[in-house]
Amino acid sequence: MMEHFLIVWQQRADVLSGLLDTLGLLAVAALASLVLGALLTPALMSRRAAIARLATLYVDAMRCAPFLLFVYLIYFGLPTAGIRLSNWWAGAIALILYNTAYMAELLRGAWAGLPAPMIEAARAYGFHGFSLVRRIILPQVFTVSLPMIGNQLVQIVKDSAFLTVIAVGELTHQMNGIQATYFIPFAAFITAVVLYWAICLVIEGGSGLLSRFAEERRA
Amino acid sequence: MSVRIIRRDPVHSKQRTAVTLFRTCALALIATFGISHAAHAASAEEIKARGYITVATEDDYTPFEFVADGKNTGYDNDLLALVRKKIGVEVKQQVMPWSGILPGVTTGKYDMALSAVLVTDERRKTFDFASPTCEAITFYATKKGSSIKGPDDLVGKVVGAETGSAMLTDLKLFNEELKKKHGGSGIKQIVEYQSYPEAYQDLALGRVDAVANTQISLNSLVKTRPDTFLIGQPIGKPTYIAWAVKKGNTDVLKMVDAALLELRKSGEMYQLQQKWLGASYKDMPQSVN
Amino acid sequence: MNAFDYWSIVQGALATVVLSVASIALGIPLGLGLALIRWARVPFFHRIVVAYVSLIRSCPAVTLTLLIFFALPQFGISLDPTPAAILALTLSTAAFNCEIWRAALINFPRDQYDAALAFAMPRRLRFRRIVMPQIWRAALPGLVSEMTLQIKSTPAVAVIGIVEITRAALRVGARTYDPLPPFVFALVLYGLIVFVLIRAQRVIERRQPVEARA
Repeated sequence: MMEHFLIVWQQRADVLSGLLDTLGLLAVAALASLVLGALLTPALMSRRAAIARLATLYVDAMRCAPFLLFVYLIYFGLPTAGIRLSNWWAGAIALILYNTAYMAELLRGAWAGLPAPMIEAARAYGFHGFSLVRRIILPQVFTVSLPMIGNQLVQIVKDSAFLTVIAVGELTHQMNGIQATYFIPFAAFITAVVLYWAICLVIEGGSGLLSRFAEERRA
Repeated sequence: MSVRIIRRDPVHSKQRTAVTLFRTCALALIATFGISHAAHAASAEEIKARGYITVATEDDYTPFEFVADGKNTGYDNDLLALVRKKIGVEVKQQVMPWSGILPGVTTGKYDMALSAVLVTDERRKTFDFASPTCEAITFYATKKGSSIKGPDDLVGKVVGAETGSAMLTDLKLFNEELKKKHGGSGIKQIVEYQSYPEAYQDLALGRVDAVANTQISLNSLVKTRPDTFLIGQPIGKPTYIAWAVKKGNTDVLKMVDAALLELRKSGEMYQLQQKWLGASYKDMPQSVN
Repeated sequence: MNAFDYWSIVQGALATVVLSVASIALGIPLGLGLALIRWARVPFFHRIVVAYVSLIRSCPAVTLTLLIFFALPQFGISLDPTPAAILALTLSTAAFNCEIWRAALINFPRDQYDAALAFAMPRRLRFRRIVMPQIWRAALPGLVSEMTLQIKSTPAVAVIGIVEITRAALRVGARTYDPLPPFVFALVLYGLIVFVLIRAQRVIERRQPVEARA
């Protein structure tokens, strides 16, 4: 057994590249889906029925579709539409589109829970439209929904493992390659499991720290 | 009556959770190393008592083994049907992606890899091979109209191959040669696929510039889609394809070898080769170990 | 896409449903057992449960499936693809269900439990008559939402060769070199399955008596 882990250690360049790919996908998908989700949330809550219905349709579609199926649709569907992307970017776009819907939904839940008197007071002070959203609403929404955003980030990490089927060189893909070449399935996959665990512990720790910081500053 | 009072200790509970996690991990790792033993391959008496051997076959590797209309078919599967009549024990077959087949044999999950396993020196260290089923060389294939006219044109291109395959190893070795020949620049990127159909689709879409596979599989591909694909040149050394058992598993090997050599003598193997592979390889040695 | 292709995707959908139902049926009681171990603070095991839940909740379904199918044979446990897939899915959903059941247990009103203790009710009777009927209603929304998530993570088992709906669609696409139609068809089938489940969730929630929701 020890020799197996030694082989994994010898291949650490590949393992590291897989780990960095996973973290890269996480960073890109998390940032983009948070930003786009924050833009989508007002659409979800819009009073104009057409916009609200379109946005809700998009969110429901993403929540009904399994991620792997969605990945294949993007992967095979984009070239048909003329857009040819590398596997990594096809995977990243699938992650972004999928998680934008989830982020928008959880931000919407937090938004709807904001106390109305606060918003009325802000309006009384002359905050309208964009500056109202940017300076009053969004900071509150983000601080309230921090734990749930943390959960969604963990979900992004787990979904990134699906991308091995479209040959994206993330962590699971690299470990599968190593175990197939050196016949060390347990050592390879247990290393992957431990690394995923470490990533998620860091995410949970970070989100815990941030929410304590946010709690102190909340009204 | 005792009522339980739960004391909540916010400062230390996080430390306690961390310590708990570390302790459990340490215990788990020690337990793992303690009970690590591989499932052993069955001996002849065990097989006779059990009544069957287990084999693993790939699920989509034309023309050797693939699924058509719900049935396992292809050269290896047809050969298995003939071997079943001669071997005297039941053969339980499991179909799965390639990356699980050879590790499945080394961990003792399967008695034999009944698949298009290329015989390489590296593999001879871990496996014993049955009597060969055909000959193979690693080639590359491109999309029709590609700018790649010869092996040296692969410099700076993206090439795909299957995870854990000998064709991938051949490709990597070829890449080293290219780098030596062209002053350090070789293939731009080697993409590993779970199975070849996905690699071929990416080739058709232009995501990869070439795919490395055996000449038999690539010829079969070009035959079905002559307007899309073009076979290139060899990039590996000629070798054989044979079914593989774990090294030292001579009992299963003897049973399978006996059946295969009978099929060779009767000419049935060559007929199948002609049917599926387009050529018959009559000059193969009896053993490639 | 010919008729046989459509039929193979439908067969894949059936495989998906069977795997999901099996893992859900096994995962809910297993999650309850794990949650009870943590609630009762069984001396050694509750720490193992903490580590198990933390580990499995951060483990991708794909990696767990690959680990169980390819790595366990090294310890002598060799499983066929379908039992391995069910085991992987069950372990995964049990970890999440444990947290859901635990939340329901924690929010269980302490005074009812104390009253039962005051009446000298034996432990099994306490659980069966007082605790269980109330917590299952509290846990239900969480459990059903976890069921939908579970169904959506079943494609992970395609990596060990099980022909569930995504792999069936992939095979058809690889054969016809026209990948989109089979995937669109698979998406429609999937949407149906999830839609039925979400509907069932709404119906169950509506049929709960108002007092129990309090």
